[in-house]
Amino acid sequence: MEQLPPDTPRIGVDEWVASVEGKRERYTGLRGAVAQRWERLPPAARVLVFAAPAAVFPFLTSQGNVFRYGLFTLVYALLALGLNIVVGFAGLLDLGYVAFFGTGAYLYAILASPQFGNHWQAEAAIPVVVIATAVVGLLVGLPSRRLLGDYLAILTLFFGQAFVVFVNNANRINFPFFGHVDLTGGSNGIANLDPFNFFGYKVDSTTKQYYLLLIAVALVLILLMFVNESRTGRAWRALREDPLAAEVMSIPVNRLKLLAFVFGAAVAGLTGAIYGTIATAALPGDYDVGLLITIYAIMILGGFGSIMGIVVGAVIVSSVPELLRSSANARPLFYGAILIAILVKLRPWRLLAAELGGLVAFGFAVHGIASAAYPRLVDGESIGSGVFARILDHWMLFPKDPVKIADVAYILMVAAIVVYPQLKPLWRAVLLPPLLYLVMFVWENLLLVHIGGATRLILLGALLVALMNVRPQGLFGTATVEIV
Amino acid sequence: MRRRRATAIAALLALSAALAVVAAAYATPERAAAPTAQTGSDAALVKCGKTRTIGFMAPVTGPAASIGIQQVHWAQYYVATYNKTHKTKFKLQTEDTQLGAPTGTAEALKGAQALAGSSSVLGVVGPAGSNEIVGVTKSLMDGGLAWVSGSSTRTSLTTDGTRRGFMFRTVPPDAIQGPTAANFILKKLKYTRVYIIDDQETYSTGLADTVQQVLKAAGATVNRDGVSQQQSDFSSLIAKIPRDTQIVYIPWQLPPKGQAFGNQMKSAGKGSIKLMGADGLYDSSFASVGSHVYDTNFPLNPKSKIIAGFKKSHGGDGEYFGAPTYAATQVVSNAIDRACAKGSTTRAAVRAAIRSTKIPAAQSLIGVSIRFNRGGDLSTLHKFGLYKSNGTAFVPISG
Amino acid sequence: MNWSLFFDLTVSGLTLGSLYALIALGYSMVYGILKLLNFAHGDVYMIGAFIGWYLLHALGGPVNPTFTGAAVLLLMFIVAMLGCGVLGVAIERFAYRPLRNAPRIAPLISALGVSIFLQNSALLVFGAAFRDYDTFDLIGVKTYHIGNLFFSVPQLLTVVAAIGLMIALTVFVARSRLGKAMRSTSFDREAASMMGIDVDRVISVTFFIGSALAGAAGVMFGLVFGLIYHFMGFIAGLKGFTAAVLGGIGSIPGAMVGGLIVGLAESYATGYLPQGSTFQNLYVFALLILVILIRPSGLFGKAAIQKV
Repeated sequence: MEQLPPDTPRIGVDEWVASVEGKRERYTGLRGAVAQRWERLPPAARVLVFAAPAAVFPFLTSQGNVFRYGLFTLVYALLALGLNIVVGFAGLLDLGYVAFFGTGAYLYAILASPQFGNHWQAEAAIPVVVIATAVVGLLVGLPSRRLLGDYLAILTLFFGQAFVVFVNNANRINFPFFGHVDLTGGSNGIANLDPFNFFGYKVDSTTKQYYLLLIAVALVLILLMFVNESRTGRAWRALREDPLAAEVMSIPVNRLKLLAFVFGAAVAGLTGAIYGTIATAALPGDYDVGLLITIYAIMILGGFGSIMGIVVGAVIVSSVPELLRSSANARPLFYGAILIAILVKLRPWRLLAAELGGLVAFGFAVHGIASAAYPRLVDGESIGSGVFARILDHWMLFPKDPVKIADVAYILMVAAIVVYPQLKPLWRAVLLPPLLYLVMFVWENLLLVHIGGATRLILLGALLVALMNVRPQGLFGTATVEIV
Repeated sequence: MRRRRATAIAALLALSAALAVVAAAYATPERAAAPTAQTGSDAALVKCGKTRTIGFMAPVTGPAASIGIQQVHWAQYYVATYNKTHKTKFKLQTEDTQLGAPTGTAEALKGAQALAGSSSVLGVVGPAGSNEIVGVTKSLMDGGLAWVSGSSTRTSLTTDGTRRGFMFRTVPPDAIQGPTAANFILKKLKYTRVYIIDDQETYSTGLADTVQQVLKAAGATVNRDGVSQQQSDFSSLIAKIPRDTQIVYIPWQLPPKGQAFGNQMKSAGKGSIKLMGADGLYDSSFASVGSHVYDTNFPLNPKSKIIAGFKKSHGGDGEYFGAPTYAATQVVSNAIDRACAKGSTTRAAVRAAIRSTKIPAAQSLIGVSIRFNRGGDLSTLHKFGLYKSNGTAFVPISG
Repeated sequence: MNWSLFFDLTVSGLTLGSLYALIALGYSMVYGILKLLNFAHGDVYMIGAFIGWYLLHALGGPVNPTFTGAAVLLLMFIVAMLGCGVLGVAIERFAYRPLRNAPRIAPLISALGVSIFLQNSALLVFGAAFRDYDTFDLIGVKTYHIGNLFFSVPQLLTVVAAIGLMIALTVFVARSRLGKAMRSTSFDREAASMMGIDVDRVISVTFFIGSALAGAAGVMFGLVFGLIYHFMGFIAGLKGFTAAVLGGIGSIPGAMVGGLIVGLAESYATGYLPQGSTFQNLYVFALLILVILIRPSGLFGKAAIQKV
């Protein structure tokens, strides 16, 4: 019998028992104290813990940073909270969620822009948008009653794609009575959306938009916490864990599914309207699959069903890529992460010291050999400035024309990483320095160059795989148990 | 249960009230001391030191990187040649907009906010995409920054009056390119059976709509369909094109797709049908499909020394898509130089200087002098160039 | 009735359908054994196309190949299939095997992570620009015709090769010992392991075969349509998955038939419906929705009874 890792859910144990045992077993010391305190706080206080630093944020930094870090983080958090209702609470795999987001934005654009000459005030427009999007959610959810998990995913994916294509082409529709109506501006989208106008008070600066978003997030958070503890929330959790058993227990499964869709769509609609005013336009390209993956990443990272986890996940997923934009920030993160990983994994400190020493020596050796025999391999320069970069110049290979070599090295690196865990421990110890050197070579010469684009997503993909291996329930999720 | 609910509701109300008060107190008066207040930067005095900063927005990475990088090269080429011959220097603050990225125009928004908030930036080159401009208009206008785009062609951007004095561009808009192509088809080639295929992107649909309008008004038979940007299997669509079609108009953005389409037409036995692209397909790969291929492009001066110099330092590749970005950078730097004559200047002054740009034809690689009209379009350029493939490259022909 | 148009559409539909069938087979086989939707499968297909391209250029390129055209093509196929097969096995080892006992959503997310990783690694290494197979000189652009039915060499090649591979697969699964092991494992994994079948090895072989087929499909796509780029796996994977579900997921003949149906449907929709090409993907998805609403287990699938 192979040894199962300790985190593996055990067959035959249900969620409540698992979580209680887990709490008793694992939370000791400082972590235990914090966890217990957290459990005791009422929902409103929990929200305050997050809202307070967020409220102070605009005073600590420039408008550009508020926009970049603050606004987008809150938008993603809202979307993830809404998606959490559908996926995390009710267990329905919704792959077309971003279409509701887009629906909200476009509906608001129809109501408050020069497109049709409507200029509704926010207190009228927002409820209309939210309710209308909820209705759309209801319609999309209707077929969900007959479909099991994977098939529902396809249906919702279809809806998501249909939305994008529709919105891209809806400027050429000929309605029977109204004639030619340019509903969505086609691929040009609808521009010049009015900022929110609450009884004359205009939300037209970044700071005001930020606070509006913060209020919206706080409201949704509190609402969700309520629902979580309520009967509906418990019913959703039962539905998520085992639909068949829930139905047998006379839980109205179909109605709950529809309710989840409606709620999720409503939140997305609200977020869409807000985002529309931030972007001042509703453009078709903004509501496609890429955004969906980002939101899912937030939920996965934070843990399905865990509300606080989602907020934390949103902060991480939104801010970290921004921080990584410059090589000055990215380097310490990368090397720091490697260092921490080694420190944690290599137990006897002698082995750790040997590996680190070996790595340094290996680097100098390779660099020395290269300088002597193949000078073209060291003619280039490391990116960025600073002491660390200069040290790297003498330790790491920087070919003059790195593109081809780095490409090949990248493929070799991936292959090496896949093969490495299969090796015997002795080989693993010996080959660790060269492997690390290869990884750093690829980082310096290839990944750092594209740090603004492809690298972020590569790291995201690798993170997802690693996360599932280490902690499938995400940072704050509860370990679920499958009864086989 | 009821008690908890009551406390929670009370806490909720208190929280919302607190936040509302805070927001109202701090957000209403636009304090100059608040973190980089936006309305102040219009008239804020900026010292023109030895090095001046130009903001630059382009798709450096992402799906449009293959054309974005050409713009980057041309802008950097301008700055490099300028710095070599002048005592004051320019530097580019580049913001990657990732045009076409999965997150849409979010990156462009962030970049525009960063430039608007950076006090040393006096003018902006870019952005590249028309949708991006729609998105960033408010951010840049609030920051008082003018922008000169080297590739955005949507006509309404300069004609709807909302960006007057802020937006300029060194490429002619769709309103000129579309009719050029349509009139060429009607009057020179005298064709009446046309098939138009757009690629669902805003650049393409704009042109396709314009051309379709002109052709239909003249009574030609026009069929219209679209492909998605991710598609490269056109076989079913090609099967649908009637064999008696005389010309297929494909205003797409990516030359390899045009090439693939042309090759697939040939292998479907429809290689005798003429093809016509727009400036997005102006590339030797599209021309290599055959001598039955036409194209329109802004009329670069073929004898320009600037182009020759660029080609020499970039391995012989002209990267023509980025050439108008050179002109855009030239406009902005020229304006900053004039505004900085007294040692310090404001963003408003730079805007006025851009508006009054007068670069003579000899120094411009577009072949005509650079002057702007009220909307921000080139007032000196009224037509697009027409080209025909000779099997390997495009050669100019008369329209 | 415009026969010429009908034949053209049928030919291109069969060509596309063969590709989708090959991709669908990979989905179906993996789902049959592991009950896992392998999101990364479409990207394996994409990598296959690129492997073919690089090999073509390593052998001198389409204009001046080192060997004859036929030999180069054969090499491209073999290397792409082997490469993708190994890639598939590696993905299984690394991303799915450790999660065999984890909750069902974990391997799904891991698959998503692998897909993102592959797509962007391809973007990083190959660049954002489209690559052109440009094999028209190599194979010849000649179009043959029987009466009103036109077809080109690459199209013929694709359909014939796909049929050949599918026949080979069917024979393998029906006759060989490993094939029997695969069938029994997909039926009941626990029972199969108790009967002495090495389940790990069977799963690895399944992934190998499925990914190899996808790699072959990638090369075929390049030969027929010419353009490859890093994102092509997304939509192709989606359509392959549609085909697998249409035919009944878990069923091999279902995947083949489903693939052909999807290909033909896409082609006819483009050809006959208004704005067909613009809404191409939507018509295909709409067909899928229709099928699963009427017959949820697909055409060939068995209506599974859920044992509690």
